[in-house]
Amino acid sequence: MSQAEVSITGEPVSAAVCRFTVDRPVYPEKSFAFMSKEAAAGSPLAERLFAVDGVSRVVVSHDQITVNKTAQVEWPVIGKLIGAAIREHLASGDAAVSDEAWGNVPSSDEIKEQVQQVLDSEVNPSIADHGGVVRLINVEENTVFIQMGGGCQGCGQADVTLKFGIENSIRAAIPGVGAILDVTDHAAGRNPYYTPSKK
Amino acid sequence: MPRVLLLIPTSTYRTEAFLSAAGKMDVDVTVASEHPNALARLNPAALLTLSFAEPARAAQQAVDFASTYPVDAVIAVDDQVTCVGAAICQALALRHNSLTAVQAAGDKYRTRQLFQAAGLVTPRFQKIAFDDEIPTLARDVDYPCVVKPLGLSGSKGVIRANNEMEFAASVQRLRQIVELENLSSPKDENCRAMNRSFLVEEFVSGPEIALEAILRRGELRVLALFDKPDAMDGPFFEETIYLTPSRLPGPVQEQVAGCTQAAVKAIGLTEGAIHAELRLPATGPVMIEVNPRSIGGRCSRSLHFEDQETLEEIIIRQSLDDDYESPVADVQPSGVMMIPVPSAGVLREIRGVARAEAVTGIDAVHISAHVGQKLVPLPEGSAYPGFLFARAATLDAVEAALRASHAELKFVIEPAAE
Repeated sequence: MSQAEVSITGEPVSAAVCRFTVDRPVYPEKSFAFMSKEAAAGSPLAERLFAVDGVSRVVVSHDQITVNKTAQVEWPVIGKLIGAAIREHLASGDAAVSDEAWGNVPSSDEIKEQVQQVLDSEVNPSIADHGGVVRLINVEENTVFIQMGGGCQGCGQADVTLKFGIENSIRAAIPGVGAILDVTDHAAGRNPYYTPSKK
Repeated sequence: MPRVLLLIPTSTYRTEAFLSAAGKMDVDVTVASEHPNALARLNPAALLTLSFAEPARAAQQAVDFASTYPVDAVIAVDDQVTCVGAAICQALALRHNSLTAVQAAGDKYRTRQLFQAAGLVTPRFQKIAFDDEIPTLARDVDYPCVVKPLGLSGSKGVIRANNEMEFAASVQRLRQIVELENLSSPKDENCRAMNRSFLVEEFVSGPEIALEAILRRGELRVLALFDKPDAMDGPFFEETIYLTPSRLPGPVQEQVAGCTQAAVKAIGLTEGAIHAELRLPATGPVMIEVNPRSIGGRCSRSLHFEDQETLEEIIIRQSLDDDYESPVADVQPSGVMMIPVPSAGVLREIRGVARAEAVTGIDAVHISAHVGQKLVPLPEGSAYPGFLFARAATLDAVEAALRASHAELKFVIEPAAE
């Protein structure tokens, strides 16, 4: 495969984050998050990207690579280096994520069981005080789908509870979990614990 | 990684925007609220409870927290927590507005005094105690006037009166609003003292505008100027449509910025987000109020900046980096409509959301009220049932899209039993 043929589009998500979309799958139908340079060891694509000075986080998902950078470097500078690293990786034919890294991810059935355990033992007993409940809807690969009900559905603080309570507990208990997606229809909540009321 | 302490009241609309912004940055985040999060014990580094009604106590709680989890910046996301934010920053020796300045900005009478002392154009004003002889005082008031609570925000309790009879009725209504407010949540002595009096000021005619800015070492950088195309002549002052960039001529915009710079200087504000409301009579800009926080509700979504940064990202970055240069606002016209409460009662159904979303130019329709929620219009209420967002090639098209989208919505409200 010629590196020059590979088309990569960079789309800024924010000042610190840029999403690179490649014209072909990089990690077909799968996603994996590398939260640090250490976590990238053994995974060739992530190793190449973390070798670029200033890259602080890498998420690979099918044909997209989302990169976080530190404040000390500028996108026009490292964007080109990231593009070159992606092209070099595709030309090498290496796997994006090492078998070992992926092998450490529990199966979806194992994740399902462990997430349910976290919800039953830690999360739901606590949010029951607010009339809330969190249900596990499904696990696909390592992506977890949850739904919030009762006082959590439509609650003005549901984002806080999800990000800093539920996500945190699940990730601490089950390393290797990918995205945790809230599929709640919050607009349909009938009895949210907190309702925004301040103009 | 630096740690940002976000002061997020449980009743704010701003949670999602600030969490989303922080999530895109390499920062550790701690969310502090006035009530404990149900999962606080599972993540004590990220979920904190502070006594928002008692700034000194909250500051001590934050100092205790910071001894384990050092804090690099504190951001007050709403009016309710600006004083707490200043007190915490003072206790942690972080760059911030002084507590005195923030307290002055939250007191409409003190604000007026400071504007007057600084030579700013200010409507005639006076402070009156609710226990004063209102019918007698009514004879000495110039009409039309506006009665205002000293400490509430978001137009809550603000009522225009055109004569003595309306004045007496307005004061009685405001008194009930303030008494209910006193009962609704704990108040410190400063707040209770403010709620024993109210402000009467001359009604300033002319269009109203809103300015969004950021302060660094007292220097104002304007991020956006919003036109409010709907006349705000009372008797209540409900916000509806905000459009940006402003249609005002450049020299007038410069006057507005100059007036705001003078106003923040008069109050003593020096750092962080600023939201100002001004009137534009023929004689030039008149500052109505300036607050040390960003735009309320979900309205910040109508602002677009280069590099896809959001207003909340700008605020967080600026709080962490003294030399941060905020990006320039997008020039493409955009706008937001804060959906007015159609009538008092219990919301039973919302119809037409899909049609409202389908209007050309509409970016998003966000309904924040839930079925079963009691809706209370101004001047007693303080919540919007939702927000409409639009972007288009022209400001006229944005405004037309917002009005067309609003016309598609139907709120079915059952009058509340007394």
